[in-house]
Amino acid sequence: MNLPLPLIVLITIFCLAGVGLYCLLITRNLIKVVIALQLMVKGAVLAFILAGNLTGQMNTAQTLALTVIVADTIVAVVGLALAVQIRLRTGSLDVKSLSSLKR
Amino acid sequence: MTMAMIAVMIGGPWLGALVVWAVGDKREKLQHWLAVLFSAVAGAAAIVLIPNATSEAIVKIPVGGAFGDFTFVPDGLGVFLSVIATVIGSLAVVFSTSYMKGEASLGRYYAFVLFFIGAMVGLVLSSNLLLIFFFWEITALCSYALIAFHNDDPKAVRGGVKALIITSIGGVGLLVGALVLFAYTGSFDLNTFLGASGTIPANILSLLAFGFLIAAAAKSAQFPFQTWLPDAMEAPSPISALIHAATMVNAGVYLLARTFPAFQGVPFWREAVMIVGTLSAILAAVMALTANDLKRVLAYSTVSQLGYMVYAIGAGGVFASQFHLFSHSIFKALLFLGAGAVIHSIGTRDMLEMGGVGRKLPLVKWVFIIGSLALAGLPILNGFWSKELILEAGLKGGPAWLYVLMVIVAGLTALYTARCVWLVFFGEPRTEYHVHPAGIGMKVALIPLALAALVSWIAVGPFSALLGERTLPYHEIEQTSLATVIHEILTLPTLIALLVIGLGILLWFTRSKMEGLINGLRSIRWASEKSFGFEALNTAFVEVTNNIAEALRSTQTGILNWNVFAIAASLIILFVILVLGG
Amino acid sequence: MNPTLLFQDLIILPFAAAVIIYLVGRISLRKEKDWGFSVARALAVFSLLIEGCLLYFAVKFALQTGGIYLDVGEVSLMLDGIGLVLTAVVLFLGLMVTLFSVDYMAGEKGEEKYYALLLSTIGSIIGLGLAFDLFTLWIWFEAMAISTFLLVAFYNDEPPSLEAGIKYLVQSAVGSALVLLGIALIFSQAGSTSFAVIWQAASMSAPMILIGGILLIVGFGVKTALVPLHTWLPDAHSQAPSGISAMLSGIVIEAGMIAMLRSLSFMGRIEFNWGAVLLVFGCLNILVGNLLALRQTEVKRLLAYSSLVHVGYMLVGFGVGFWYGQANGATGGFFHLITHSLMKGLAFLAAGALLYALHLKNNEHVPLTLSDLNGASRKYPLAAFALSVALLALGGLPPLAGFMSKWQILVAAASAKNTLMIIVIIFVGLNSVLSLGYYAPIVNRLYRRETSAAVENGKPIPVMMIVPLLLLVLAVVVIGLWPAAMDFFTTKATASLLYPFFY
Repeated sequence: MNLPLPLIVLITIFCLAGVGLYCLLITRNLIKVVIALQLMVKGAVLAFILAGNLTGQMNTAQTLALTVIVADTIVAVVGLALAVQIRLRTGSLDVKSLSSLKR
Repeated sequence: MTMAMIAVMIGGPWLGALVVWAVGDKREKLQHWLAVLFSAVAGAAAIVLIPNATSEAIVKIPVGGAFGDFTFVPDGLGVFLSVIATVIGSLAVVFSTSYMKGEASLGRYYAFVLFFIGAMVGLVLSSNLLLIFFFWEITALCSYALIAFHNDDPKAVRGGVKALIITSIGGVGLLVGALVLFAYTGSFDLNTFLGASGTIPANILSLLAFGFLIAAAAKSAQFPFQTWLPDAMEAPSPISALIHAATMVNAGVYLLARTFPAFQGVPFWREAVMIVGTLSAILAAVMALTANDLKRVLAYSTVSQLGYMVYAIGAGGVFASQFHLFSHSIFKALLFLGAGAVIHSIGTRDMLEMGGVGRKLPLVKWVFIIGSLALAGLPILNGFWSKELILEAGLKGGPAWLYVLMVIVAGLTALYTARCVWLVFFGEPRTEYHVHPAGIGMKVALIPLALAALVSWIAVGPFSALLGERTLPYHEIEQTSLATVIHEILTLPTLIALLVIGLGILLWFTRSKMEGLINGLRSIRWASEKSFGFEALNTAFVEVTNNIAEALRSTQTGILNWNVFAIAASLIILFVILVLGG
Repeated sequence: MNPTLLFQDLIILPFAAAVIIYLVGRISLRKEKDWGFSVARALAVFSLLIEGCLLYFAVKFALQTGGIYLDVGEVSLMLDGIGLVLTAVVLFLGLMVTLFSVDYMAGEKGEEKYYALLLSTIGSIIGLGLAFDLFTLWIWFEAMAISTFLLVAFYNDEPPSLEAGIKYLVQSAVGSALVLLGIALIFSQAGSTSFAVIWQAASMSAPMILIGGILLIVGFGVKTALVPLHTWLPDAHSQAPSGISAMLSGIVIEAGMIAMLRSLSFMGRIEFNWGAVLLVFGCLNILVGNLLALRQTEVKRLLAYSSLVHVGYMLVGFGVGFWYGQANGATGGFFHLITHSLMKGLAFLAAGALLYALHLKNNEHVPLTLSDLNGASRKYPLAAFALSVALLALGGLPPLAGFMSKWQILVAAASAKNTLMIIVIIFVGLNSVLSLGYYAPIVNRLYRRETSAAVENGKPIPVMMIVPLLLLVLAVVVIGLWPAAMDFFTTKATASLLYPFFY
């Protein structure tokens, strides 16, 4: 099987984003939720690199990708911090138990 | 000069509202006096304006864009209605000084009354449909706030919210009409519209016509929106007299009268207007016959009389409808204020608990009887002349069967009026009640109204001049004189109508011999007590909305996975739409 | 004054102030002195005032020269009408919220963080309004999101507020990832993220940009609270400190919408009916928001759902603007953005003042329910009056601001002159009436004579909380009586939005 590189990257992007989204739909653990978010964003980062490759704007693409990684890490940190607090206050990381706010 | 008067009539009461509210509830006496002062100034300004009526735009503030020019035109119709609003407004305020003595939150009460008076003047004087809608909704807001004035009473709150919602639903008709008009003519100005109504496409014109009819029906408590007015009777009595008898409920009739020249050619519009008027008149008259709450009887009778006015407009009798509006404002305000005096004195609204009140309150009894006779349409009170004018217009401009129905309603009116007067003022007291004498403010307000109910019809000549060609170029109202009107009215149809009215009164006094007939009509009585199913319809509508809302709420599970699923699902739906439809 | 310097200051100042405020607060905390917090509050107010002056000079300069641009490497910024509206609104509302928070947040744990984060939220929204490059836009968007995550979960020992925070974070992050995928797609076709380049690349055959645009709608739509992406909103709005609820509802969700519209405005040449999508979402928002609010019993949650409704009105306006080229639609949309931020800001601040007096001051962390409001006007006449004005304005009753902006939106719909739009007008009108069904009873509750137990035990409301309420009431009434007052802002914003879309 001889796939061209861009196609492989494209498939990887879809897999990363898709797995991330799927994981968000089924997982009940907050830590895993944060990991799933990371997966989705990593897919997007790859997409930037691929787009840069296709259009010949590699420098720009790498700049954008790096910025995304930085910004996304902050989100992950805040998310994990909140998860830790929730574990401390409620003793559980289960998403289902986190549904006091509804209707 | 004219401009200053308009500013005083709208701005004065609004300023007064702020001042009375700012004075604070601790200085009650000052609040009473200030309210009287501000409303009286507006009333004086309105009277000064009468000879200055013109069809020119006196105030024109260009705002531009989607808002048009804010224009005010003191033409005959507008000046006439603003006089009613401010003068009866002042009398209602004077009445309130006794009626509301010692009540809590007086500041809120007077602020809304004054706010209402200013808004009502604005509504009838402005010719920009945006402004009309603007004031239309303000009057609805004030009406709601005053119906629900006693906020602790859930019935009052429900009545207020119901009035607000039903009139606002109708307001959507006015909204659509105004917006569509702007889309096609590039202006919100009513006079421009009346002058150029021929250039608007026919289907758009009928959309406008029926939109305005819906708005008018909701505001004037006409079929099928009549249910809010009886429930509005939780308001203090002066409010019922001012807003729910003399002014705000006339706004719908006013709107129809004002736009009549443009819509009279629209297919089925005139028929629809006449049928709405007739249905409201009949249904409400029957309900007035079976109700036992004094104020509800008067409310039903208001719906019924407004039905007459609407019917007259449909039949082409704009002048007759406005003349009846004039008479009706006077005698119905008188009746409501009189009823207010009775209720204030003995502390109940149920007529079955009254009886023989006349001996304790002779003045109230006499003015109430004057008002009732005018309502029943007996000569020579003002109600007689205007009602006969309407019937005459109906005979000329509408189908005969509607005319017959309206004559029968006149008989029913006489019947329920006789019943009401009798139950309240005559006979023996049916329960033990204590009577407080009527306050000075009440008397001051009642006597001028009673005199006006006796003699206001003499002004028919000047009245027709006010509504004539000079100030209303599109309405083609002929100037007339008292002699002409008397001559026109003293004809055979009037005699027939009088006969029916007499029969109605007779029916009440011979009721004991009519047992069989009354028993035969029991099903009608049952239906009327259930308000012919309209109340159930309202309730069902509210229930269904609430149930849908509850069902929708249960979809908000608060579980993160489902929330993310909603995001994914909407993304997928958008892509599917993209693939399918591009 | 040098315009470039002015422009840089405009963006840098809030963040610099945020850092200084945080440091001052921490230092005084370390030394166990109280003066630090007073300085922090004063600094926050002061920096916002200076920011306002900077904006004034920038606008003056822009009017003289026809615009200010700034390019720093890949980052390009521009002050145009949309940016002006967003900046002006966020500064005004931010100032009101800061004034309100002086007493509301006094003595809370981490007060210095509150002001620092509030200022950085304001700074990011200003940046978002000025960004003229898709990727820069996203950076500001993300900065705004991160600051608000922390603010929503500000009461970090209350499980409900943590729950609201994490839900908000996760859904925002999903949206943000979708936005990134969209940007990557657009980048792959245009070869740049600059709006000017995207605008040129977006011609008939630009499928990647089209798909990217849809990803942007959904991605930014999470923050804009499009139904059904709105589920984070009622939780976050009801759990955040009241000042932050006002910010979230008054400007943050609108900032998301501006980001979406700004991006879409450069894709107008693509063969796709963006206006219809916005219109459908708008109608859905109006209906669902109203029905969800109808049976609410918690005041702040009810107000949160009413935010959905008002976002819906704006979307209807913008949708009509995009679909039929009705300038009034976009103007009305921006006008409603302004009035909504005033009305909803007022509503949340007034509700917050009551929450503070009735519960927080008594050390109870419970939501403010409708029955708590019974008779509140007896003890808190001004706060109750402010809340009533806000609610009636939200319900669209004249002479208050909400009426005029809705009117302008509907005028645009009518000007499209077709049956569908008339149906939309009737739909919006009837929904407006439906909304009175939950606003009006609240006003009645406020003016009852029988007071609730909560009101009886309530503490007084400090004067500093009342001042912003009265200022906002004044603004709501004045705009209601004189709608043309906002023309300066709205027409410019409309030009910036519709010009690239249609040419």
